[in-house]
Amino acid sequence: MAAIDETFFLDGPPCVVIDRVKMTYKVESSDERSGAARGLKGRLRKALGRPSRVTVTALKELSLVVERGESVGIIGRNGSGKSTMMKLISGQTAPTEGGVYASSTPILLGVNAALVPELSGDQNVVLGCLAMGMSMEQIDEQFDSIVELSGLESAIYLPMKSYSSGMASRLRFAIAAAVNPEILLVDEALNTGDAQFSSRSKARMDELRAQAGCVFIVSHSLETIRDMCTRVIWLDKGELIMDGSPEETTDRYRDFSAHLSKGNNISATRIKDDARANLVATQVLERTSGRRMQGR
Amino acid sequence: MSAKKAKLPEPAAIQPLSVDMRKLTRVGSRPGFFEYVGKLWAYRQFIFYDARARVQSGTRRDRLGSLWLLLNPIFNGLTYYLIFGVLLQTSKGIENFVGYLVVGIFLFQFSSGAITAGARSIRTGKAVVQAFNFPRAALPLGANIRELLSAVPLILGMLLIIVVFPPAETISWLWLLVIPAVFLQGIFNLGVGMILARVIARVHDVTHLLPFILRAWMYASAVFYSYERFITDPTLLQIMTLNPLFNVIDIVRKCVLYDTLPGWHSWTSLACVALGALVIGFFFFWKGEETYGRD
Repeated sequence: MAAIDETFFLDGPPCVVIDRVKMTYKVESSDERSGAARGLKGRLRKALGRPSRVTVTALKELSLVVERGESVGIIGRNGSGKSTMMKLISGQTAPTEGGVYASSTPILLGVNAALVPELSGDQNVVLGCLAMGMSMEQIDEQFDSIVELSGLESAIYLPMKSYSSGMASRLRFAIAAAVNPEILLVDEALNTGDAQFSSRSKARMDELRAQAGCVFIVSHSLETIRDMCTRVIWLDKGELIMDGSPEETTDRYRDFSAHLSKGNNISATRIKDDARANLVATQVLERTSGRRMQGR
Repeated sequence: MSAKKAKLPEPAAIQPLSVDMRKLTRVGSRPGFFEYVGKLWAYRQFIFYDARARVQSGTRRDRLGSLWLLLNPIFNGLTYYLIFGVLLQTSKGIENFVGYLVVGIFLFQFSSGAITAGARSIRTGKAVVQAFNFPRAALPLGANIRELLSAVPLILGMLLIIVVFPPAETISWLWLLVIPAVFLQGIFNLGVGMILARVIARVHDVTHLLPFILRAWMYASAVFYSYERFITDPTLLQIMTLNPLFNVIDIVRKCVLYDTLPGWHSWTSLACVALGALVIGFFFFWKGEETYGRD
């Protein structure tokens, strides 16, 4: 690995800077051999009937700079750290090390978070919008379009706990899509609900994407990623493997998956290692003065 | 792949990139204390809406609905009346024991409800915390406003019982002092709730301890007996009267039952403890702001 001496200077402020971020979780493990059950602490946990804990690295040290106008697709296998990365960018969880910096509050368009089950759908709309910092007047203006996007019609007045999971996630999406965020994060939001909803949500997504300063998209559909993104990063087991154009990265990843599904682990690993060996990683240097320095 | 664990090759190169970070802020970072308070003010509509909506939905499952807000302390009072008033005779030497008991139980119920709700607010609101970025203190604050709102019918019911049950008390101007007393009590509840909210967000086990702590606190607050009868040591008595919940109950009893103006030292002691709890609770909660979204 060679460090490049020459420093690039980025004009203007970027949208998102991920600076040496690392994420580890402590999770419970039922694996008796994991070694975590040893030692005083481990034995004590065992005596209390609690499973032993192991540390899992979800994301290894990673830096990334995203500028205005970029749409970044994140691809990778299950457990590669895609969703962890989205959580970190949205500020839902804090990284173990490093920091994520953004020019405004990123909004995560997820479909998995529940709101308040005891409240009715319309109350949840108001509550969710207020939680995103909208004012009552803005909510009054937007209320009808949110309900329309959710497709819930009169079911909007029923308590959330009576909703099917599809209905709840549609409402969740409609609420999150009510604001026009500068930084938009999308986590598999496209594959929910019936066909009618997915065309509506796609239209709203396109609108939001057009207005957003930058977009992050996590999807298992490589077509979606290819259509929507200007830059694609490939994560595997928490490591950055590739960072490049949508065509190049998705092609390489598709190749990798094809070899894997054929059980061809050695050649798949070779593809991955090869991609990684060509990666140019980023090191963020903080510039506090506005003037452009020499070089470039 | 053979037995050896494949090591991922290092990247080809590391490109230093100089970035203008002045306009960026760290995502999910904790703002300064006063900025945080300002942000909370900006979210006031959220807090009030949350509180109001939940008051309505709190008893929706019950057939008697909001009536339970009142029935609950009444049944509580009845139990204590039978056990302590009739069986154990702790009522000896207490003028208007029914009124004495009702004030103690209703007011303590308000505190224990509010402290529990505030303490659990982060845990129960986890979905909202993880979905949206807002100052997290909005949740315990909303829970406490909700409890304060539902305390209004509770206290009106309490006063009604005092007026109706013999020996019926007459309404006087002193009754208005109930409002500041209960308000200070609400502030105290909020402060304690915020401290516990952060503790419980971290160590969930404390929720199991909470009912015991509250019960011990109630027994120590002279709800169904009087300190004068059981405590003879004057220093111990003085320590016991520092208890803010005892102070609130005592102030309200003096105003409503015994037609005497509560002494200034009761008020100052209550106000100091309440405001102190609020400041400490707020500060402690704010310190943990970045941790509440974690699983």
